Amino acid sequence: MNEHRELSRRALLQSIATAASVGAIAGYRAAANLLPPQSQVPGHERSLPTFTGPAPNPYWNSVGPVVQYPQKLPLVLLTDRPIQLETPRHYFETAFTPNEAFYVRWHLDEIPNAVDLSAWRLSLEGSVERPLKFSMSDLTRKFKPVTIAAVNQCSGNSRSRLQPRVPGGQWGDGAMGNAKWTGASLRELLESAKIKKEALAVQFQGLDKGKGPEGHGSYEFLKSLDLKDSVLDDSIVAYAMNDEPLPMLNGFPVRLVVPGYFATYWVKSLSWIRVLDKTDENFWMKTAYRVPDTPRGNTNPEDVKGGKVRTVPIGRMPVRSFIVTPNGEKKLVAQLRVIIRGIAFSGYSSVNKLEVSVDDAKSWTSAQLGEDYGPYSFRTWSMAWTPQHPGRYVLAARATDGKGNVQPDEATWNPGGYLWNRVEREEVVVGRAS
Amino acid sequence: MYAQFDAGRYSQKNSGAIAQPAPPEETVGASYSVAAYPLYPPDLAPGEGREAVQSYCSTCHSTRYITMQPPLPPETWAAEVDKMIKVMGQPIPEDVQPVIIKYLQSNYTPQSRKR
Repeated sequence: MNEHRELSRRALLQSIATAASVGAIAGYRAAANLLPPQSQVPGHERSLPTFTGPAPNPYWNSVGPVVQYPQKLPLVLLTDRPIQLETPRHYFETAFTPNEAFYVRWHLDEIPNAVDLSAWRLSLEGSVERPLKFSMSDLTRKFKPVTIAAVNQCSGNSRSRLQPRVPGGQWGDGAMGNAKWTGASLRELLESAKIKKEALAVQFQGLDKGKGPEGHGSYEFLKSLDLKDSVLDDSIVAYAMNDEPLPMLNGFPVRLVVPGYFATYWVKSLSWIRVLDKTDENFWMKTAYRVPDTPRGNTNPEDVKGGKVRTVPIGRMPVRSFIVTPNGEKKLVAQLRVIIRGIAFSGYSSVNKLEVSVDDAKSWTSAQLGEDYGPYSFRTWSMAWTPQHPGRYVLAARATDGKGNVQPDEATWNPGGYLWNRVEREEVVVGRAS
Repeated sequence: MYAQFDAGRYSQKNSGAIAQPAPPEETVGASYSVAAYPLYPPDLAPGEGREAVQSYCSTCHSTRYITMQPPLPPETWAAEVDKMIKVMGQPIPEDVQPVIIKYLQSNYTPQSRKR
């Protein structure tokens, strides 16, 4: 042992001295005649490719480099302006996603670096009897704080799985996160301004601005919800995320939380709430973020080309589940127990059943569900598994929500790359125990 | 024949290092701020039209929006450029439009993409 260590230390020193590291260490290996040849330690020093396609992205996350942004842990870069960052897989081991690891997605490039709360106000205007402006203290003191655990998932989460591939943010599975949000009830804010009878919808705008010409989607980002939509009853204007102020990149000082709905409605750095008396015809409602009005939003390129596809604004998130560990990074050992863990959620209700397969979705066993933090939260799940024999295994997870929606084992395709919720798989390698 | 273990292998190959950010100096005022957001310019493929792409396709967004995409068919790139002009309102001179489309088709389709 000592001799071995000494040899290796000498080899390392030599490699640094001569900078001929590969040769020196290879030389050491030949001399020691103990180590397996390079071919038996495959892939350990490789990086991910710089892009994937035209086949589906085979990796859990997107393949971009890991980068550092203010108030964040290193995250996966999709784009730097506007900023889009993905959360690495291992942060989903817990039901709540840390703020520092929470994914980031902006549509426009002029986003706040600083907000002065002595000047900042949230305006409530438009078709109301009494237009109002709220300071941060108004929101925290004049309204009863409401707390809800809710998943924020990008409409295009997992877009890189679609076949054929579609343009857009090439997210893996990490454009999502779950947080405990605290803020003022949206309905209470609206009631305080007294909505006029003719009002139809409510529009939201944040501090972000783009460099495109006025009247285009490249200039401002606007989203709206129908005033009759019951999701407004659960919506809050959140000033706290996991009991902390929101990170700047996640929408400081306040963001809209629309539990169960895709994140496109969760407007960040929310500063204008505008009550409309007509349908919102802006780009982000009329053209973007629309899904085919078909089961699961599924269609095909031919029907789209033929102009046969009627679309509607995207809304609730279909049921999904993810395997978080094992993640294929570590080889398993036969006869050694591992815990298969993951998360599940649905935009319709709590997940109340989670099944795991270790034979590529042929047979299923119920997993144990973690604590229920409410209908819109991640729910953790786990199942112990002792692989008896060496080999390659395909694990799969399938969630069912309280409304009876079962995760399908079928692909989805639409031109926006939305609503992917197929049963997820993870291939693991089990080695011999002796 | 198999080694009992393998040890002491180091490599000059690494995936780069990220400097740790220092904690900011804060005051008790009402202003809340973060540092400037870092840019990560992509390695755009060399070739005719690259400069046109850099000047006309980075007004609203960085050219990482191009390199992030999977390889896309030639007609999809033409449609994307058309969308940027007609829907997003980017003024690209008519004689430059085909240069940009050709660059994207020559470097970012399933057949042509190298990096």
